[in-house]
Amino acid sequence: MFSHYIDLGWRSFKRTPLVSLLMVLAIAVGIGITMTSLSVYHMMSMDPIPDKSDKLFAVQLQTIDEGQTWWSPDNLPYQLTYKDTESLLKSDLPYKRAALMATGFSVHLNSDKVKPFLEETRVTSRDAFSMFNLPFIHGDVWSQEQEDSAAPVTVISSSLSKKLFGSENGVGQTLYLDDLSVQVVGVIKDWQLHVKYYDLNNGSFNEPEQIFIPFSLIKAHEINTWGNTNGWKHEPVKVFNDKLQSEKFWLQFWVELNNETEKRAFEGYLANYIAEEKKTGRFTREQAEYKLRDVNEWISYWEVVNEDNKIMVALSFMFLAVCLANILGLLLAKFLRRAPEVGVRRALGASKRQVFFQHIVEVGMLGLFGGVIGIIVAQLGLFGIRQSLSYYDSLANMDISMLMTAPIIAILACIIAGLYPAWVVCNTTPATYLKTQ
Amino acid sequence: MLEIKPIFNALLRSKVGAVLLLIQIAITTAIVSNAAFIIKDRLDYLNQPTGYEEENIFKFNVMTFGTDLDLIQQVELDEASIRALPGVVDAVQISAIPLSGGGSSTGFRLKPVPEKSKSINASYFETDEHGLNTLGVELIAGRNFNQDEVILNRDYSQFPKVALATKALLDELFPDEEGLGKVIYMGDQPLKIVGVIGMMKGPWLKLEERKDRSVILPMVDPGKLHQFLVRTEPGQRAHVMKQIEALMHDNYAKRVIQDLTGLDEKKADYVAEDRLMMRMLVVLISVLVLVTALGIFGLTLFNINKRTKQIGTRRALGARKSTIIQYFVVENGIICIAGLILGVCGAVLLGQQLMTHYSVPLLSNWYIATTALLVFAMSILAVIGPARRAANIAPSIATRTI
Repeated sequence: MFSHYIDLGWRSFKRTPLVSLLMVLAIAVGIGITMTSLSVYHMMSMDPIPDKSDKLFAVQLQTIDEGQTWWSPDNLPYQLTYKDTESLLKSDLPYKRAALMATGFSVHLNSDKVKPFLEETRVTSRDAFSMFNLPFIHGDVWSQEQEDSAAPVTVISSSLSKKLFGSENGVGQTLYLDDLSVQVVGVIKDWQLHVKYYDLNNGSFNEPEQIFIPFSLIKAHEINTWGNTNGWKHEPVKVFNDKLQSEKFWLQFWVELNNETEKRAFEGYLANYIAEEKKTGRFTREQAEYKLRDVNEWISYWEVVNEDNKIMVALSFMFLAVCLANILGLLLAKFLRRAPEVGVRRALGASKRQVFFQHIVEVGMLGLFGGVIGIIVAQLGLFGIRQSLSYYDSLANMDISMLMTAPIIAILACIIAGLYPAWVVCNTTPATYLKTQ
Repeated sequence: MLEIKPIFNALLRSKVGAVLLLIQIAITTAIVSNAAFIIKDRLDYLNQPTGYEEENIFKFNVMTFGTDLDLIQQVELDEASIRALPGVVDAVQISAIPLSGGGSSTGFRLKPVPEKSKSINASYFETDEHGLNTLGVELIAGRNFNQDEVILNRDYSQFPKVALATKALLDELFPDEEGLGKVIYMGDQPLKIVGVIGMMKGPWLKLEERKDRSVILPMVDPGKLHQFLVRTEPGQRAHVMKQIEALMHDNYAKRVIQDLTGLDEKKADYVAEDRLMMRMLVVLISVLVLVTALGIFGLTLFNINKRTKQIGTRRALGARKSTIIQYFVVENGIICIAGLILGVCGAVLLGQQLMTHYSVPLLSNWYIATTALLVFAMSILAVIGPARRAANIAPSIATRTI
């Protein structure tokens, strides 16, 4: 029966090609615009590390004096001081932890082979690779001894290895970061992320770094951050050590906690740490304040999906509603015109239900056509977005789930629009129309 | 005269079509007036005056990896060689680039730390005495700082004693007095204001309260990574930009020249998201208006087909063509006005929602009124074509099929 309805639907489509085409176009434009804004929204808010996002936590500590305010939603600073970062990193805890800082260097080989170029670099600790799911293709992460002794070693991405050494396996090679020569100990698969969740300070959608060096090098080689440094009180910083000892915020810290017990244990540790530090005159607030946020909480805390996108999504759904009202009107007109024919079918024994389903199938077909054309419209829209914003390259795209969603929304929307017209037409009394034939 | 009563009665007999049209008109009015308002808001933001000749200024980064040099000496040498290029007005090493989204800011105070004092947040630029001329901003009072007031920063043992500040900042700090000649504090360091700058936007355009507040400090403090700003004669920029990398490498080889970009491009990058939002809204409202117009067009056409006999009968009974056109225009007008009343309420509601949840200013009633008028005009235009077709229905049609 279903295929018969499809056949009937197709015939009906061909009988009134102009109106049918108008309806398909209306739904296509509606779906196209909605999917364009929804795709960007989806990519922005998508979980960047689905298998672990509830296990990785960003750590925040309230070190600011009572009465001082910060610009974050809950008054907690986004980043940590060097002192706290180092303590948390060095403490004897059984959890994987990563301290992070953005920096950058002129990368060169001290020869004419490769023209020196500027490259952003991530300073971090060795757990970061397993925490953030960065698989090694060659070599491995630097050892704990190397990290402790501030050894000049590095992990690079495979594409950077190709660029510098002409081969994916750059392990054992030496490269220069400014005047510091470092040895490659590991090569990882290129890190591909649409949201740079581990450091949202300087552009949420920037590319992840391709060079990684041990955290201990910060102190050993006085490496300055390329990210934000924020202070809340006046602290003269004349030499690098002043900055290390200061209350300024310039580092990120993540911890991997596998269950609620571990989380509570780590929170206990933080409370204890704050109590200890209090004795030295820091953490002057009455109430010890700290916060652990998992990846998705962190992303929404930073308001990564900006409000423009939310407004666009809302407006485009309203636009879709207009398109639907339009289609509803046209469907009603089209179906009612066919009422005499339906009257004959009803008189010949078709049940109301059959007539209703026949029309719903026809409407569903319109939705399917509209959805497919809508995907093309959405691709055009996304192409336009990519043209206007370079860093939207990885955001203004439709992934499989969005590609599937488009026709589903289209068909559902059309069926909703078609319910009333189909109801009206299946309720026509056959006698009225048979009379005038 | 307008026969509203019979038209209205006829409408009541086919309510659904009319209601659908009404809903479309209402939503269209609500969306278009709000979107147009946001577009205008963004346009004002994108086109605001900045105080710079953006198309004649460019910037670049220098990342030095060699260690066998004195950075300050090298900067002076680089500046001199760039200034010597034909077509260059002035060039300078500067700590932050205006309109780029990246820079430094701090609180400027009336009393030194740790005393309690009024503190106003402002962005600051560190540069030498050529900074003012390279930026090309207008000095409205006082003087530029002199070469001997510029601190060459090697060990943080000295701090500038004088500074230039924008009028916007001084008006905040000294609401009732002249700011020129006053002393303000950056932390515990006193700075005497020797010059007042008129229009000069800082690195951030988004922060409404901070974008006009800037301070220029006479200090040269280049790190390994530092930035240059160059202003050229009109039309010379592209030519000068082409020579920069080679020139800088001739001066000193062990460094990377990067991000050689015009100030207008920097600004375009910074405001790219707002421009995108504006464009998306323009597309949205154009398509929306088109879809609604097509809806009116289609529905009228359908009504005419349905009423061919009645129209024929009316014509046969003596109705003029213009009466038929009038009928459809008035019918559409009634629906449209009802839709507009609903749409105006919708627009106000939507505007309030947007204002409560997002940083959108309160929708001005002018936008709603203008949109309502335009939608009305559009609906009349959309109905006229089909109505004329209806008027051309021959009276004989009516008699033929009865």
